[in-house]
Amino acid sequence: MTTTDITPYDFIPDDVAPAGPARPKLLLLATSLASAAVAMGFLGLIGHYVAERAAVVQTGGRWLPEGVEIPLTQPNFMGVSVAFSVITIWWAVAAVRNDDRSHALQAYGISILFAVAYIAQTAYLFTIMQIEINADERSALLYGIIGTHLVLMIVAIGFVLVVGLRTLAGEYSSRDYDGVNSAALFWTVVAALYGVMWYAIYITK
Amino acid sequence: MALTETRPDSPASSASEHIEPGTVEGLLGTGDHKTIGRLFIGAGVVGLVGGLVMGVVAAVYAGNFDDLAPDAIDYLPQVWSLSRDLVMFGGLVPILLGLGIYLIPLQIGAPSLAFARGASGALWTWLLGTALLVLATVFNGGPGGGRRDFVVLWAAALAMMVGAAAWALVCIAATILGARTQGMSLDKAPLTTWSYLVFALVGLFSLPIVMAELLMAFLRIRYFHLPITESTQLTAVGDGFSLAPSIYWLGIPILGMAADIVGVHSERPVQMHKAVMGAIGLFGVLTFGSDVVGLASLRGVDFDNGFLVVGLAAAVLPVLGTLGLVGESIRLGVLVPRVPLVGALASGLLLLLATVVSLLGLVKPVMGFLDELFPDAIDMTNTLILNGTRFHEGIRALVVGAAVVALVGALHHWAPKIWGRRLGEPLGYVAVLAAAGGSVIWAIGEIAAGFDDQPWLPARPTEDFAAGLGALSLAGAAILAVGGLALLGNLAVSFLGTKPAGSSPNAWSGTTLEWATTSPPAAGNFPAPPIVRSPTPLADGELQYALIGGGEADEPDADPDDATPELEG
Repeated sequence: MTTTDITPYDFIPDDVAPAGPARPKLLLLATSLASAAVAMGFLGLIGHYVAERAAVVQTGGRWLPEGVEIPLTQPNFMGVSVAFSVITIWWAVAAVRNDDRSHALQAYGISILFAVAYIAQTAYLFTIMQIEINADERSALLYGIIGTHLVLMIVAIGFVLVVGLRTLAGEYSSRDYDGVNSAALFWTVVAALYGVMWYAIYITK
Repeated sequence: MALTETRPDSPASSASEHIEPGTVEGLLGTGDHKTIGRLFIGAGVVGLVGGLVMGVVAAVYAGNFDDLAPDAIDYLPQVWSLSRDLVMFGGLVPILLGLGIYLIPLQIGAPSLAFARGASGALWTWLLGTALLVLATVFNGGPGGGRRDFVVLWAAALAMMVGAAAWALVCIAATILGARTQGMSLDKAPLTTWSYLVFALVGLFSLPIVMAELLMAFLRIRYFHLPITESTQLTAVGDGFSLAPSIYWLGIPILGMAADIVGVHSERPVQMHKAVMGAIGLFGVLTFGSDVVGLASLRGVDFDNGFLVVGLAAAVLPVLGTLGLVGESIRLGVLVPRVPLVGALASGLLLLLATVVSLLGLVKPVMGFLDELFPDAIDMTNTLILNGTRFHEGIRALVVGAAVVALVGALHHWAPKIWGRRLGEPLGYVAVLAAAGGSVIWAIGEIAAGFDDQPWLPARPTEDFAAGLGALSLAGAAILAVGGLALLGNLAVSFLGTKPAGSSPNAWSGTTLEWATTSPPAAGNFPAPPIVRSPTPLADGELQYALIGGGEADEPDADPDDATPELEG
């Protein structure tokens, strides 16, 4: 008998149901759970921001400090970058599923390029907002939320780099693309959270 | 020798040689869920005892006993916060995590925990965070602290502990969802496993919110330069997880473990398995739902009253339902009053008591809700208002007591599986009785103080508190701490003196899969993947093993002196 044979004992009753469909892969499950937790934490921050802002506005106060303006051009372009990166990251998944490693690597690279562009635009936005982190509680909130999203984006880049290198090494293919799927899922969640932040901070100001 | 030369054959150069890591390397680099679980449990028990002892100190400070500690009330927020955080995230949560990390793969027939090295990372992160939390408080940090750097360190350390707990919960939940053995659909999972899944999901949706609060606290102190004299405000950060209904989160695995333990020690597994699962799931949903609105309530948001009323009131039902369904096993089964059974029942009753008594806290939300509906019809000036008083500390005392008692029972129940030896019964009874009695006495003192309008922290209790109710609270906290010390002592005595139980797989005639393998289990947990068709495969004689890889899979070792139901059929 070879090591590939899998035979049940004879005394397993005939009425034992056959094995069900394969369960979702562990990495994808764990990524889904972790992504949900990350989303809850980030939404908690946004909720904190919205509540603080509403309290100030209700009393007739001005939310952003005098002289501070948040332009919309950069946040909009950041949104476009993030949105395009979602398309390219799923392009990578599709390429791996088709065993098209060349296109997969291109897709990874372009996704990371979009993410780097997002980070650069955020850094530029910080410089033109001219708001000091220790100016008051509101600026600490602003930096806290935007900074947290930057950290999440950097984590997503790291995740994609790891699966990209593993794809290069031939670990992922049409038979197993669990890691690629997981990275794309986390990337998408981070992108969606930018959408929430874009509306809550950049649009409502 | 050049690299191109062939090395001579020798035992030292054999590729098959396996070099055992040393103790330190083995602990730091372990990917064995059993080792990680044991470390979590051991360190958690030490943290729990530390937190309970600090609770006694906090009770002394709150009582303002000048003869015991002059001017100590100035340090009350720091000492109380350290006690609260150590009991919750330094003791109860890590012990629960350790039990889950050890037991869940065994209960679901998995060879290992998903992402065991991730769980190992969570363990060391948690340990580091706990050490930093204590250090930060010792160096005048934490809520009420006077040194900014160490107040900041407190926030970072607590965030590390909470984050580590969340990551360990990801590992546990992923294992339950993705690594169950053949035939074990989710509705056939053991009740402990199911309760851990609910516990993990609720935790993953609520712990990140606590982390967000801690990040805000960190930014306020570090960058916004909150006046350090205002650092007492930070006590409110922990309120998100230490007040009812949020603290009921701890009760979710308590219910599952109690149901499993009662089923084993009454020799009659819980019959209405799915109904108990439903009750535990409902309790989890209510805990989470009311958790969110509870936070909103603390922030003074108006819309929450209706939700809070429903959440708090409804939380009684699933606890009552679970105990009622489990009670059927007691009524019809063979009752053997061992420590696990006594602990399971006492913890369930304490949890029920906590949910029932907390209904008194509904007075304010109910009146607020009615006031929203009929703004001109109700005069609230003479309404009993317990929110914002020490009443909350009483509810916390009951839930903490329930958790301690449950863990004493659970550790006694699963000690043969975890360490291959039993814990001493006399010290076990001392631990259960002290923890249950202490928590009730402590709760009576605090709840009565609530009716006496003694304010909630960071406000200080009045001088009257010391004379009567403060002493009662102190006595209760001290007795509860004795319970924790008895547990720690029992573990130490058992390891030093008691004869190991050997590899007997089934110490209690258990009916779930963890009892189908050796104690403690060997690497891989099971000789072959088990196949199950019911939630209690050992009781039903339904356990079979798949044959894998050409070699015959042996059934687990059976001790002839220790009957195992699966062999009896």
